[in-house]
Amino acid sequence: MEHGESDIEALLEIRNLHAGIGDTQILKGIDLSIAPGEIHAIMGRNGSGKTTAANIIMGHPDFEVEEGEVLLSGENLLELEPWERAREGVFLSFQYPQAVPGLQVGNFLRKSVASIRGKEAAKGADFRGELNEAMDTLDIPRSFLSRYVNDGFSGGEKKRFEILQLLLLKPKLAILDETDSGLDIDGIKTVAAGINAAVRGTDSAALIITHYSRILEHVQPDKIHVLIGGQIVATGGPELAMQLEERGYEWLDPKAEAEGIA
Amino acid sequence: MSVSGLPEGDVVTGSFMQAASASSQWILRIEPGFSSQDPVILDIDVKGSSSILHLSLDVGRLSELELITRVRGSGKWFGLLRTGEIGAGAVLNDVVVCLQDEGTLLRVDSIAIGRDAQVRAGTVSSGSERTKADLRYRMGEPGGNLRVLGSILSVDSMHIDHHVEIHHDAPETFSRLTWNSACGGDSRTVGTGMLRVADGSRGADAAQIFHNLLLSADAEADSIPELEVREHEVVGCGHGTANGPIDEDQVFYLESRGFDPSEAKSTLIAAFLNSTLSEMGSDSLHDWLVGLLNSELRTPDA
Ligand SMILES: Nc1ncnc2c1ncn2[C@@H]1O[C@H](COP(=O)(O)OP(=O)(O)OP(=O)(O)O)[C@@H](O)[C@H]1O
Ligand SMILES: [Mg+2]
Repeated sequence: MEHGESDIEALLEIRNLHAGIGDTQILKGIDLSIAPGEIHAIMGRNGSGKTTAANIIMGHPDFEVEEGEVLLSGENLLELEPWERAREGVFLSFQYPQAVPGLQVGNFLRKSVASIRGKEAAKGADFRGELNEAMDTLDIPRSFLSRYVNDGFSGGEKKRFEILQLLLLKPKLAILDETDSGLDIDGIKTVAAGINAAVRGTDSAALIITHYSRILEHVQPDKIHVLIGGQIVATGGPELAMQLEERGYEWLDPKAEAEGIA
Repeated sequence: MSVSGLPEGDVVTGSFMQAASASSQWILRIEPGFSSQDPVILDIDVKGSSSILHLSLDVGRLSELELITRVRGSGKWFGLLRTGEIGAGAVLNDVVVCLQDEGTLLRVDSIAIGRDAQVRAGTVSSGSERTKADLRYRMGEPGGNLRVLGSILSVDSMHIDHHVEIHHDAPETFSRLTWNSACGGDSRTVGTGMLRVADGSRGADAAQIFHNLLLSADAEADSIPELEVREHEVVGCGHGTANGPIDEDQVFYLESRGFDPSEAKSTLIAAFLNSTLSEMGSDSLHDWLVGLLNSELRTPDA
Protein backbone atom coordinates (compact mmCIF):
# COMPACT_ATOMS: atom_id res chain seq x y z
CA MET A 1 0.00 0.00 0.00
CA GLU A 2 1.43 3.35 -1.03
CA HIS A 3 -1.33 5.32 0.66
CA GLY A 4 -3.90 4.71 3.30
CA GLU A 5 -1.75 3.35 6.11
CA SER A 6 -3.77 3.28 9.27
CA ASP A 7 -2.10 6.41 10.67
CA ILE A 8 -3.46 8.50 7.78
CA GLU A 9 -7.16 9.01 8.20
CA ALA A 10 -9.05 8.01 5.07
CA LEU A 11 -11.35 10.62 3.56
CA LEU A 12 -13.84 7.90 2.64
CA GLU A 13 -13.82 4.59 4.41
CA ILE A 14 -16.35 1.89 3.53
CA ARG A 15 -16.30 -1.27 5.63
CA ASN A 16 -18.17 -4.47 4.89
CA LEU A 17 -21.12 -2.64 3.34
CA HIS A 18 -24.20 -4.76 2.73
CA ALA A 19 -27.20 -2.97 1.30
CA GLY A 20 -30.24 -3.47 -0.82
CA ILE A 21 -33.76 -2.50 -1.59
CA GLY A 22 -36.70 -4.38 -0.11
CA ASP A 23 -35.70 -8.03 -0.04
CA THR A 24 -33.13 -7.67 -2.81
CA GLN A 25 -29.49 -7.58 -1.75
CA ILE A 26 -27.45 -5.42 -4.10
CA LEU A 27 -24.19 -4.70 -2.28
CA LYS A 28 -22.71 -7.77 -0.64
CA GLY A 29 -19.79 -6.68 1.48
CA ILE A 30 -17.84 -3.75 0.07
CA ASP A 31 -14.58 -2.43 1.51
CA LEU A 32 -13.07 0.72 0.10
CA SER A 33 -10.70 3.33 1.44
CA ILE A 34 -9.83 6.60 -0.30
CA ALA A 35 -7.18 8.90 1.14
CA PRO A 36 -7.26 12.70 0.78
CA GLY A 37 -5.88 13.77 -2.60
CA GLU A 38 -6.66 10.44 -4.24
CA ILE A 39 -8.80 9.57 -7.20
CA HIS A 40 -10.28 6.09 -7.40
CA ALA A 41 -12.38 4.51 -10.11
CA ILE A 42 -15.06 1.84 -10.03
CA MET A 43 -15.77 -0.19 -13.13
CA GLY A 44 -18.25 -2.98 -13.53
CA ARG A 45 -20.99 -4.45 -15.60
CA ASN A 46 -24.44 -2.98 -15.96
CA GLY A 47 -26.42 -3.80 -12.84
CA SER A 48 -23.40 -4.67 -10.71
CA GLY A 49 -24.33 -2.08 -8.05
CA LYS A 50 -22.23 0.99 -8.91
CA THR A 51 -25.06 3.52 -8.85
CA THR A 52 -26.49 1.85 -5.77
CA ALA A 53 -23.18 2.36 -3.96
CA ALA A 54 -23.12 6.02 -5.01
CA ASN A 55 -26.72 6.51 -3.89
CA ILE A 56 -26.03 4.92 -0.53
CA ILE A 57 -23.06 7.19 0.11
CA MET A 58 -25.27 10.17 -0.74
CA GLY A 59 -28.10 8.84 1.45
CA HIS A 60 -30.85 7.89 -0.98
CA PRO A 61 -33.88 6.95 1.14
CA ASP A 62 -34.91 3.96 -0.99
CA PHE A 63 -31.93 1.83 -0.01
CA GLU A 64 -31.38 0.03 3.25
CA VAL A 65 -28.01 -0.58 4.77
CA GLU A 66 -28.06 -3.98 6.43
CA GLU A 67 -24.51 -4.08 7.66
CA GLY A 68 -21.28 -2.13 7.54
CA GLU A 69 -20.03 1.41 7.85
CA VAL A 70 -19.48 4.45 5.68
CA LEU A 71 -17.20 7.07 7.20
CA LEU A 72 -16.22 10.50 5.93
CA SER A 73 -13.03 11.63 7.67
CA GLY A 74 -13.94 9.25 10.47
CA GLU A 75 -17.51 10.54 10.82
CA ASN A 76 -20.38 8.09 10.40
CA LEU A 77 -22.21 9.22 7.27
CA LEU A 78 -25.01 6.70 7.62
CA GLU A 79 -26.46 8.67 10.54
CA LEU A 80 -26.78 11.82 8.46
CA GLU A 81 -29.58 12.91 6.15
CA PRO A 82 -28.68 13.53 2.49
CA TRP A 83 -28.56 17.34 2.85
CA GLU A 84 -26.37 17.00 5.94
CA ARG A 85 -23.98 14.80 3.98
CA ALA A 86 -23.96 17.40 1.18
CA ARG A 87 -23.11 20.07 3.74
CA GLU A 88 -20.35 17.85 5.13
CA GLY A 89 -18.82 17.81 1.65
CA VAL A 90 -20.25 14.80 -0.20
CA PHE A 91 -21.16 15.45 -3.83
CA LEU A 92 -22.74 13.08 -6.31
CA SER A 93 -22.74 13.77 -10.02
CA PHE A 94 -25.77 11.74 -11.04
CA GLN A 95 -25.84 9.19 -13.84
CA TYR A 96 -29.27 10.55 -14.75
CA PRO A 97 -29.56 14.10 -13.42
CA GLN A 98 -33.06 15.06 -12.43
CA ALA A 99 -34.98 17.73 -14.35
CA VAL A 100 -36.76 20.37 -12.29
CA PRO A 101 -39.03 22.35 -14.61
CA GLY A 102 -39.77 25.81 -13.28
CA LEU A 103 -36.55 26.08 -11.26
CA GLN A 104 -34.06 28.39 -12.92
CA VAL A 105 -30.44 27.30 -13.07
CA GLY A 106 -29.10 30.59 -11.65
CA ASN A 107 -31.47 30.52 -8.73
CA PHE A 108 -30.77 26.85 -8.04
CA LEU A 109 -26.99 27.34 -8.08
CA ARG A 110 -27.16 30.32 -5.74
CA LYS A 111 -29.35 28.47 -3.23
CA SER A 112 -27.22 25.39 -3.44
CA VAL A 113 -23.94 27.27 -2.90
CA ALA A 114 -25.56 29.19 -0.03
CA SER A 115 -26.66 26.04 1.74
CA ILE A 116 -23.37 24.18 1.32
CA ARG A 117 -20.73 26.90 1.46
CA GLY A 118 -22.69 29.49 3.41
CA LYS A 119 -24.72 32.56 2.48
CA GLU A 120 -21.69 34.80 2.06
CA ALA A 121 -20.22 32.53 -0.63
CA ALA A 122 -23.34 32.92 -2.77
CA LYS A 123 -23.41 36.71 -2.71
CA GLY A 124 -22.17 39.56 -4.77
CA ALA A 125 -19.53 40.01 -7.43
CA ASP A 126 -17.24 37.27 -6.13
CA PHE A 127 -19.85 34.61 -6.65
CA ARG A 128 -20.76 35.95 -10.07
CA GLY A 129 -17.10 35.97 -11.06
CA GLU A 130 -16.64 32.41 -9.86
CA LEU A 131 -19.78 31.32 -11.66
CA ASN A 132 -18.78 32.97 -14.93
CA GLU A 133 -15.33 31.46 -14.78
CA ALA A 134 -16.66 27.96 -14.15
CA MET A 135 -19.20 28.31 -16.96
CA ASP A 136 -16.47 29.45 -19.33
CA THR A 137 -14.25 26.52 -18.34
CA LEU A 138 -17.06 24.10 -19.11
CA ASP A 139 -18.27 25.92 -22.22
CA ILE A 140 -21.71 26.44 -20.80
CA PRO A 141 -23.38 29.50 -22.33
CA ARG A 142 -24.67 32.20 -19.96
CA SER A 143 -28.15 31.69 -21.36
CA PHE A 144 -28.33 28.50 -19.30
CA LEU A 145 -28.72 30.56 -16.15
CA SER A 146 -32.30 31.35 -17.03
CA ARG A 147 -33.17 27.87 -18.22
CA TYR A 148 -34.79 25.32 -15.97
CA VAL A 149 -32.60 22.78 -14.18
CA ASN A 150 -31.81 19.88 -16.56
CA ASP A 151 -35.07 20.55 -18.39
CA GLY A 152 -34.59 19.86 -22.08
CA PHE A 153 -30.79 19.66 -21.63
CA SER A 154 -29.00 17.28 -24.00
CA GLY A 155 -27.18 14.31 -22.47
CA GLY A 156 -23.84 16.10 -22.61
CA GLU A 157 -25.26 19.37 -21.28
CA LYS A 158 -26.62 17.56 -18.24
CA LYS A 159 -23.19 16.13 -17.50
CA ARG A 160 -21.48 19.49 -17.93
CA PHE A 161 -24.04 21.02 -15.61
CA GLU A 162 -23.26 18.41 -12.93
CA ILE A 163 -19.59 19.33 -13.21
CA LEU A 164 -20.45 23.02 -12.99
CA GLN A 165 -22.04 22.22 -9.65
CA LEU A 166 -18.94 20.25 -8.63
CA LEU A 167 -16.73 23.25 -9.36
CA LEU A 168 -18.99 25.63 -7.43
CA LEU A 169 -19.74 23.42 -4.44
CA LYS A 170 -16.12 22.42 -3.80
CA PRO A 171 -16.89 19.12 -2.08
CA LYS A 172 -14.49 17.00 -0.06
CA LEU A 173 -15.65 13.85 -1.76
CA ALA A 174 -16.87 13.93 -5.35
CA ILE A 175 -18.55 10.82 -6.73
CA LEU A 176 -19.03 10.90 -10.47
CA ASP A 177 -21.47 8.32 -11.73
CA GLU A 178 -20.79 7.85 -15.45
CA THR A 179 -20.25 11.55 -15.93
CA ASP A 180 -18.17 10.68 -19.01
CA SER A 181 -21.01 8.81 -20.73
CA GLY A 182 -22.67 11.09 -23.23
CA LEU A 183 -19.81 13.60 -23.25
CA ASP A 184 -17.86 14.32 -26.41
CA ILE A 185 -14.05 14.06 -26.36
CA ASP A 186 -13.56 17.73 -25.50
CA GLY A 187 -16.12 17.34 -22.75
CA ILE A 188 -14.28 14.38 -21.27
CA LYS A 189 -11.00 16.33 -21.27
CA THR A 190 -12.68 19.30 -19.65
CA VAL A 191 -14.30 17.16 -16.99
CA ALA A 192 -11.03 15.33 -16.32
CA ALA A 193 -9.23 18.66 -15.95
CA GLY A 194 -11.96 19.78 -13.55
CA ILE A 195 -11.59 16.64 -11.44
CA ASN A 196 -7.81 16.90 -11.36
CA ALA A 197 -7.99 20.55 -10.35
CA ALA A 198 -10.54 19.76 -7.63
CA VAL A 199 -8.57 16.85 -6.12
CA ARG A 200 -4.85 16.75 -6.91
CA GLY A 201 -2.79 18.48 -4.30
CA THR A 202 -5.85 19.12 -2.11
CA ASP A 203 -7.48 17.31 0.79
CA SER A 204 -10.42 16.31 -1.39
CA ALA A 205 -10.93 13.02 -3.17
CA ALA A 206 -12.93 11.64 -6.07
CA LEU A 207 -14.57 8.35 -6.94
CA ILE A 208 -15.21 7.93 -10.65
CA ILE A 209 -17.70 5.37 -11.85
CA THR A 210 -17.18 4.59 -15.51
CA HIS A 211 -17.34 2.01 -18.27
CA TYR A 212 -14.49 3.51 -20.30
CA SER A 213 -10.75 3.90 -19.93
CA ARG A 214 -10.73 7.18 -21.85
CA ILE A 215 -11.54 9.43 -18.91
CA LEU A 216 -9.12 7.44 -16.75
CA GLU A 217 -6.27 8.21 -19.15
CA HIS A 218 -6.82 11.86 -18.34
CA VAL A 219 -7.20 11.56 -14.57
CA GLN A 220 -4.76 8.71 -13.87
CA PRO A 221 -6.62 7.18 -10.94
CA ASP A 222 -4.62 5.87 -7.99
CA LYS A 223 -6.73 2.73 -7.92
CA ILE A 224 -9.33 1.00 -10.01
CA HIS A 225 -11.85 -1.31 -8.39
CA VAL A 226 -13.94 -3.85 -10.23
CA LEU A 227 -17.44 -4.40 -8.93
CA ILE A 228 -19.22 -7.58 -9.87
CA GLY A 229 -22.44 -8.78 -8.28
CA GLY A 230 -22.20 -6.27 -5.47
CA GLN A 231 -18.63 -7.15 -4.48
CA ILE A 232 -15.25 -5.71 -5.31
CA VAL A 233 -13.50 -8.62 -7.01
CA ALA A 234 -10.30 -6.90 -8.08
CA THR A 235 -8.33 -3.72 -7.37
CA GLY A 236 -5.45 -2.49 -9.44
CA GLY A 237 -3.73 0.42 -11.13
CA PRO A 238 -4.55 2.16 -14.44
CA GLU A 239 -3.46 -0.93 -16.41
CA LEU A 240 -6.57 -2.72 -15.11
CA ALA A 241 -8.83 -0.42 -17.12
CA MET A 242 -7.07 -1.38 -20.35
CA GLN A 243 -7.29 -5.07 -19.51
CA LEU A 244 -11.02 -4.76 -18.83
CA GLU A 245 -11.56 -2.94 -22.08
CA GLU A 246 -9.79 -5.74 -23.98
CA ARG A 247 -10.99 -8.79 -22.09
CA GLY A 248 -14.33 -7.79 -20.56
CA TYR A 249 -15.32 -8.85 -17.06
CA GLU A 250 -15.71 -12.59 -17.40
CA TRP A 251 -12.16 -13.50 -16.30
CA LEU A 252 -12.76 -11.68 -13.02
CA ASP A 253 -16.21 -13.07 -12.37
CA PRO A 254 -16.03 -15.57 -9.49
CA LYS A 255 -19.33 -17.09 -10.56
CA ALA A 256 -18.20 -17.66 -14.12
CA GLU A 257 -15.04 -19.31 -12.84
CA ALA A 258 -17.00 -21.54 -10.50
CA GLU A 259 -19.18 -22.64 -13.39
CA GLY A 260 -16.12 -23.27 -15.50
CA ILE A 261 -16.94 -20.67 -18.14
CA ALA A 262 -13.84 -18.57 -17.74
CA MET B 1 -71.31 46.62 -23.31
CA SER B 2 -74.36 44.49 -23.76
CA VAL B 3 -75.10 40.97 -22.70
CA SER B 4 -74.65 39.93 -26.32
CA GLY B 5 -70.90 40.19 -25.75
CA LEU B 6 -71.11 37.11 -23.59
CA PRO B 7 -70.78 33.68 -25.12
CA GLU B 8 -73.76 31.42 -24.94
CA GLY B 9 -74.28 29.57 -21.72
CA ASP B 10 -72.77 32.34 -19.74
CA VAL B 11 -75.85 34.46 -19.74
CA VAL B 12 -77.21 33.73 -16.29
CA THR B 13 -74.20 34.58 -14.16
CA GLY B 14 -73.07 37.21 -16.59
CA SER B 15 -76.34 39.07 -16.69
CA PHE B 16 -76.69 38.85 -12.95
CA MET B 17 -73.27 40.36 -12.52
CA GLN B 18 -73.98 42.95 -15.15
CA ALA B 19 -77.23 44.02 -13.56
CA ALA B 20 -75.72 44.08 -10.09
CA SER B 21 -72.81 46.13 -11.25
CA ALA B 22 -74.79 48.63 -13.31
CA SER B 23 -73.70 51.39 -10.99
CA SER B 24 -70.04 50.45 -10.93
CA GLN B 25 -69.00 49.79 -14.48
CA TRP B 26 -65.56 50.88 -15.46
CA ILE B 27 -64.53 51.05 -19.04
CA LEU B 28 -60.89 50.68 -19.95
CA ARG B 29 -60.45 51.82 -23.51
CA ILE B 30 -57.14 51.30 -25.22
CA GLU B 31 -56.71 53.42 -28.33
CA PRO B 32 -55.98 51.58 -31.58
CA GLY B 33 -52.24 51.29 -32.15
CA PHE B 34 -51.43 52.20 -28.52
CA SER B 35 -48.27 50.57 -27.27
CA SER B 36 -46.53 50.71 -23.92
CA GLN B 37 -43.60 49.02 -22.23
CA ASP B 38 -45.06 49.72 -18.81
CA PRO B 39 -47.94 47.63 -17.56
CA VAL B 40 -51.31 49.08 -16.68
CA ILE B 41 -52.06 48.07 -13.11
CA LEU B 42 -55.58 48.00 -11.73
CA ASP B 43 -55.50 47.61 -7.99
CA ILE B 44 -58.74 46.53 -6.40
CA ASP B 45 -58.88 46.73 -2.64
CA VAL B 46 -61.89 44.78 -1.48
CA LYS B 47 -63.68 46.02 1.65
CA GLY B 48 -67.00 45.64 3.43
CA SER B 49 -69.63 42.98 3.27
CA SER B 50 -70.31 42.87 -0.42
CA SER B 51 -69.23 44.72 -3.52
CA ILE B 52 -69.16 44.18 -7.21
CA LEU B 53 -67.29 45.64 -10.14
CA HIS B 54 -67.79 45.41 -13.84
CA LEU B 55 -64.70 46.11 -15.84
CA SER B 56 -65.21 46.50 -19.52
CA LEU B 57 -62.12 46.20 -21.70
CA ASP B 58 -62.09 47.73 -25.12
CA VAL B 59 -58.69 46.97 -26.54
CA GLY B 60 -58.19 48.75 -29.85
CA ARG B 61 -56.83 47.11 -32.95
CA LEU B 62 -53.06 46.71 -33.25
CA SER B 63 -52.48 47.92 -29.71
CA GLU B 64 -50.00 46.29 -27.34
CA LEU B 65 -50.62 46.18 -23.64
CA GLU B 66 -49.80 44.43 -20.42
CA LEU B 67 -52.70 44.64 -17.99
CA ILE B 68 -52.55 43.53 -14.40
CA THR B 69 -55.72 43.30 -12.36
CA ARG B 70 -54.88 42.78 -8.73
CA VAL B 71 -57.55 41.92 -6.16
CA ARG B 72 -56.59 42.29 -2.52
CA GLY B 73 -58.17 43.22 0.79
CA SER B 74 -60.63 41.47 3.00
CA GLY B 75 -64.24 41.94 1.98
CA LYS B 76 -66.82 39.25 2.69
CA TRP B 77 -68.07 38.93 -0.87
CA PHE B 78 -66.69 40.39 -4.05
CA GLY B 79 -67.93 39.98 -7.58
CA LEU B 80 -65.65 40.80 -10.50
CA LEU B 81 -67.06 40.83 -13.99
CA ARG B 82 -64.66 41.51 -16.81
CA THR B 83 -66.00 41.69 -20.32
CA GLY B 84 -63.84 42.56 -23.22
CA GLU B 85 -63.32 42.89 -26.92
CA ILE B 86 -59.79 42.46 -28.13
CA GLY B 87 -59.36 44.23 -31.45
CA ALA B 88 -57.79 42.78 -34.58
CA GLY B 89 -54.05 42.26 -34.36
CA ALA B 90 -53.86 43.47 -30.74
CA VAL B 91 -51.36 41.88 -28.38
CA LEU B 92 -52.68 41.65 -24.82
CA ASN B 93 -51.00 40.26 -21.80
CA ASP B 94 -53.73 40.01 -19.22
CA VAL B 95 -52.86 38.87 -15.70
CA VAL B 96 -55.36 38.64 -12.87
CA VAL B 97 -53.91 38.25 -9.40
CA CYS B 98 -56.31 37.20 -6.65
CA LEU B 99 -54.90 37.42 -3.16
CA GLN B 100 -57.70 38.43 -0.84
CA ASP B 101 -57.21 37.63 2.79
CA GLU B 102 -60.69 36.28 3.31
CA GLY B 103 -64.18 36.03 1.93
CA THR B 104 -65.65 34.85 -1.32
CA LEU B 105 -64.68 35.86 -4.83
CA LEU B 106 -67.01 35.34 -7.74
CA ARG B 107 -65.30 36.13 -10.99
CA VAL B 108 -66.64 36.05 -14.51
CA ASP B 109 -64.47 36.85 -17.52
CA SER B 110 -65.92 36.97 -20.96
CA ILE B 111 -63.45 37.93 -23.63
CA ALA B 112 -63.96 38.04 -27.38
CA ILE B 113 -60.71 37.76 -29.32
CA GLY B 114 -60.51 39.48 -32.68
CA ARG B 115 -58.82 38.55 -35.91
CA ASP B 116 -55.11 37.70 -35.50
CA ALA B 117 -55.15 39.03 -31.94
CA GLN B 118 -52.77 37.43 -29.46
CA VAL B 119 -53.93 37.09 -25.90
CA ARG B 120 -52.16 35.65 -22.91
CA ALA B 121 -54.56 35.32 -20.04
CA GLY B 122 -52.93 34.48 -16.73
CA THR B 123 -54.50 33.83 -13.37
CA VAL B 124 -52.50 33.85 -10.18
CA SER B 125 -54.55 32.90 -7.18
CA SER B 126 -53.94 32.09 -3.57
CA GLY B 127 -57.12 33.24 -1.98
CA SER B 128 -59.71 34.09 -0.98
CA GLU B 129 -61.32 31.47 1.23
CA ARG B 130 -63.69 30.65 -1.59
CA THR B 131 -63.15 31.43 -5.24
CA LYS B 132 -65.49 30.56 -8.04
CA ALA B 133 -64.38 31.72 -11.44
CA ASP B 134 -65.89 31.30 -14.82
CA LEU B 135 -63.52 32.32 -17.61
CA ARG B 136 -64.75 32.33 -21.18
CA TYR B 137 -62.88 33.18 -24.32
CA ARG B 138 -64.29 33.23 -27.79
CA MET B 139 -62.29 33.34 -30.97
CA GLY B 140 -64.89 34.32 -33.52
CA GLU B 141 -62.47 35.42 -36.23
CA PRO B 142 -59.59 33.71 -37.98
CA GLY B 143 -56.06 33.82 -36.68
CA GLY B 144 -56.79 34.33 -32.99
CA ASN B 145 -54.10 33.08 -30.65
CA LEU B 146 -54.81 32.42 -26.97
CA ARG B 147 -52.70 31.17 -24.08
CA VAL B 148 -54.54 30.60 -20.83
CA LEU B 149 -52.36 30.03 -17.80
CA GLY B 150 -53.08 29.36 -14.17
CA SER B 151 -50.81 29.34 -11.13
CA ILE B 152 -52.96 28.38 -8.20
CA LEU B 153 -51.81 27.88 -4.64
CA SER B 154 -54.50 26.72 -2.26
CA VAL B 155 -53.62 26.40 1.39
CA ASP B 156 -55.47 25.98 4.69
CA SER B 157 -59.16 25.40 3.95
CA MET B 158 -59.38 27.37 0.73
CA HIS B 159 -61.77 26.30 -1.94
CA ILE B 160 -60.70 27.44 -5.39
CA ASP B 161 -62.75 26.55 -8.42
CA HIS B 162 -62.04 27.67 -11.99
CA HIS B 163 -64.04 26.82 -15.05
CA VAL B 164 -62.33 27.79 -18.31
CA GLU B 165 -64.19 27.71 -21.57
CA ILE B 166 -62.46 28.26 -24.89
CA HIS B 167 -64.48 28.58 -28.07
CA HIS B 168 -62.90 28.16 -31.47
CA ASP B 169 -65.55 29.60 -33.76
CA ALA B 170 -63.33 30.48 -36.71
CA PRO B 171 -60.64 28.84 -38.86
CA GLU B 172 -56.94 28.89 -37.99
CA THR B 173 -57.46 29.67 -34.34
CA PHE B 174 -54.97 28.53 -31.74
CA SER B 175 -55.30 27.95 -28.01
CA ARG B 176 -53.32 26.44 -25.19
CA LEU B 177 -54.49 26.07 -21.62
CA THR B 178 -51.99 25.15 -18.92
CA TRP B 179 -53.28 25.15 -15.39
CA ASN B 180 -51.04 24.36 -12.43
CA SER B 181 -52.54 24.03 -8.97
CA ALA B 182 -50.61 23.28 -5.81
CA CYS B 183 -52.92 22.17 -3.04
CA GLY B 184 -52.04 21.95 0.62
CA GLY B 185 -53.78 21.85 3.99
CA ASP B 186 -57.31 20.55 3.64
CA SER B 187 -57.99 22.82 0.70
CA ARG B 188 -59.82 21.88 -2.42
CA THR B 189 -59.27 23.00 -5.96
CA VAL B 190 -61.35 22.31 -9.00
CA GLY B 191 -60.39 23.03 -12.55
CA THR B 192 -62.72 22.31 -15.40
CA GLY B 193 -61.98 23.07 -18.99
CA MET B 194 -64.37 23.13 -21.87
CA LEU B 195 -62.87 23.25 -25.30
CA ARG B 196 -65.36 23.81 -28.11
CA VAL B 197 -64.32 23.70 -31.73
CA ALA B 198 -67.25 24.73 -33.90
CA ASP B 199 -68.04 23.30 -37.29
CA GLY B 200 -66.13 25.31 -39.89
CA SER B 201 -63.11 26.06 -37.70
CA ARG B 202 -60.69 24.40 -40.07
CA GLY B 203 -57.09 24.33 -38.94
CA ALA B 204 -57.98 24.95 -35.31
CA ASP B 205 -55.27 23.89 -32.90
CA ALA B 206 -56.13 23.47 -29.25
CA ALA B 207 -54.80 21.72 -26.21
CA GLN B 208 -55.34 21.86 -22.50
CA ILE B 209 -53.60 20.36 -19.55
CA PHE B 210 -54.25 20.51 -15.84
CA HIS B 211 -51.50 19.66 -13.35
CA ASN B 212 -52.26 19.23 -9.68
CA LEU B 213 -49.53 19.03 -7.11
CA LEU B 214 -50.87 17.54 -3.89
CA LEU B 215 -49.00 18.78 -0.85
CA SER B 216 -50.91 17.03 1.87
CA ALA B 217 -53.07 13.96 2.34
CA ASP B 218 -56.14 16.03 3.12
CA ALA B 219 -55.93 18.28 0.08
CA GLU B 220 -58.20 17.47 -2.81
CA ALA B 221 -57.85 18.41 -6.44
CA ASP B 222 -60.14 17.65 -9.32
CA SER B 223 -59.71 18.57 -12.88
CA ILE B 224 -62.02 17.74 -15.68
CA PRO B 225 -61.05 18.70 -19.20
CA GLU B 226 -63.81 18.36 -21.77
CA LEU B 227 -63.68 18.44 -25.53
CA GLU B 228 -66.39 19.14 -28.01
CA VAL B 229 -65.05 19.05 -31.55
CA ARG B 230 -67.45 19.58 -34.44
CA GLU B 231 -64.84 20.13 -37.14
CA HIS B 232 -62.82 17.33 -38.74
CA GLU B 233 -59.96 19.29 -40.23
CA VAL B 234 -58.21 20.35 -37.08
CA VAL B 235 -54.47 20.50 -36.49
CA GLY B 236 -54.78 19.11 -33.04
CA CYS B 237 -57.09 18.84 -30.09
CA GLY B 238 -55.66 17.37 -26.95
CA HIS B 239 -56.29 17.41 -23.28
CA GLY B 240 -54.91 15.81 -20.20
CA THR B 241 -54.52 15.94 -16.48
CA ALA B 242 -51.73 14.91 -14.17
CA ASN B 243 -52.06 14.58 -10.41
CA GLY B 244 -49.43 13.70 -7.92
CA PRO B 245 -47.44 14.53 -4.85
CA ILE B 246 -44.05 16.22 -4.89
CA ASP B 247 -41.59 14.09 -6.86
CA GLU B 248 -39.27 12.25 -4.48
CA ASP B 249 -36.48 12.11 -7.05
CA GLN B 250 -36.57 15.89 -7.34
CA VAL B 251 -36.47 16.18 -3.56
CA PHE B 252 -33.42 13.90 -3.40
CA TYR B 253 -31.68 15.86 -6.13
CA LEU B 254 -32.16 19.11 -4.22
CA GLU B 255 -31.19 17.53 -0.90
CA SER B 256 -28.00 16.21 -2.47
CA ARG B 257 -27.29 19.86 -3.25
CA GLY B 258 -27.70 20.91 0.34
CA PHE B 259 -31.38 21.93 0.44
CA ASP B 260 -33.00 20.83 3.69
CA PRO B 261 -36.40 19.12 3.35
CA SER B 262 -38.48 22.24 3.87
CA GLU B 263 -36.34 24.30 1.49
CA ALA B 264 -36.57 21.51 -1.05
CA LYS B 265 -40.32 21.37 -0.70
CA SER B 266 -40.95 25.10 -0.97
CA THR B 267 -38.48 25.35 -3.87
CA LEU B 268 -40.31 22.61 -5.74
CA ILE B 269 -43.72 24.16 -5.12
CA ALA B 270 -42.41 27.51 -6.34
CA ALA B 271 -40.88 25.81 -9.40
CA PHE B 272 -44.15 24.10 -10.19
CA LEU B 273 -46.11 27.34 -10.03
CA ASN B 274 -43.34 29.16 -11.84
CA SER B 275 -43.68 26.93 -14.89
CA THR B 276 -46.94 28.67 -15.72
CA LEU B 277 -46.13 31.97 -14.06
CA SER B 278 -43.09 32.54 -16.22
CA GLU B 279 -45.22 32.31 -19.36
CA MET B 280 -47.50 35.08 -18.22
CA GLY B 281 -45.59 38.15 -19.17
CA SER B 282 -42.48 40.22 -19.33
CA ASP B 283 -39.43 39.40 -17.21
CA SER B 284 -40.10 42.22 -14.78
CA LEU B 285 -43.68 41.10 -14.31
CA HIS B 286 -42.40 37.59 -13.80
CA ASP B 287 -39.96 38.65 -11.07
CA TRP B 288 -42.70 40.54 -9.34
CA LEU B 289 -45.12 37.60 -9.50
CA VAL B 290 -42.48 35.20 -8.21
CA GLY B 291 -41.82 37.47 -5.24
CA LEU B 292 -45.53 37.64 -4.60
CA LEU B 293 -46.04 33.89 -4.65
CA ASN B 294 -42.95 33.24 -2.57
CA SER B 295 -44.36 35.44 0.14
CA GLU B 296 -47.54 33.37 0.01
CA LEU B 297 -45.55 30.16 0.22
CA ARG B 298 -44.66 30.40 3.92
CA THR B 299 -45.41 26.85 5.07
CA PRO B 300 -48.09 25.66 2.72
CA ASP B 301 -49.06 22.63 4.61
CA ALA B 302 -48.29 23.26 8.21
N1 LIG C 1 -34.77 1.43 -6.96
C1 LIG C 1 -34.52 0.15 -7.30
N2 LIG C 1 -35.50 -0.77 -7.23
C2 LIG C 1 -35.24 -2.06 -7.56
N3 LIG C 1 -34.06 -2.51 -7.97
C3 LIG C 1 -33.06 -1.65 -8.05
C4 LIG C 1 -33.22 -0.27 -7.72
N4 LIG C 1 -32.06 0.37 -7.90
C5 LIG C 1 -31.19 -0.58 -8.34
N5 LIG C 1 -31.78 -1.78 -8.42
C6 LIG C 1 -31.17 -3.02 -8.89
O1 LIG C 1 -29.90 -3.16 -8.30
C7 LIG C 1 -28.96 -3.64 -9.23
C8 LIG C 1 -27.79 -2.68 -9.34
O2 LIG C 1 -28.21 -1.50 -9.97
P1 LIG C 1 -27.27 -0.24 -10.19
O3 LIG C 1 -28.09 0.86 -10.73
O4 LIG C 1 -26.56 0.03 -8.92
O5 LIG C 1 -26.27 -0.79 -11.29
P2 LIG C 1 -25.06 -0.08 -12.01
O6 LIG C 1 -23.85 -0.87 -11.67
O7 LIG C 1 -25.04 1.37 -11.71
O8 LIG C 1 -25.40 -0.33 -13.55
P3 LIG C 1 -25.18 0.59 -14.86
O9 LIG C 1 -23.79 0.34 -15.32
O10 LIG C 1 -26.17 0.06 -15.82
O11 LIG C 1 -25.44 2.01 -14.50
C9 LIG C 1 -29.70 -3.83 -10.54
O12 LIG C 1 -30.06 -5.18 -10.67
C10 LIG C 1 -30.91 -2.95 -10.39
O13 LIG C 1 -32.01 -3.46 -11.12
MG1 LIG D 1 -25.34 3.05 -12.82
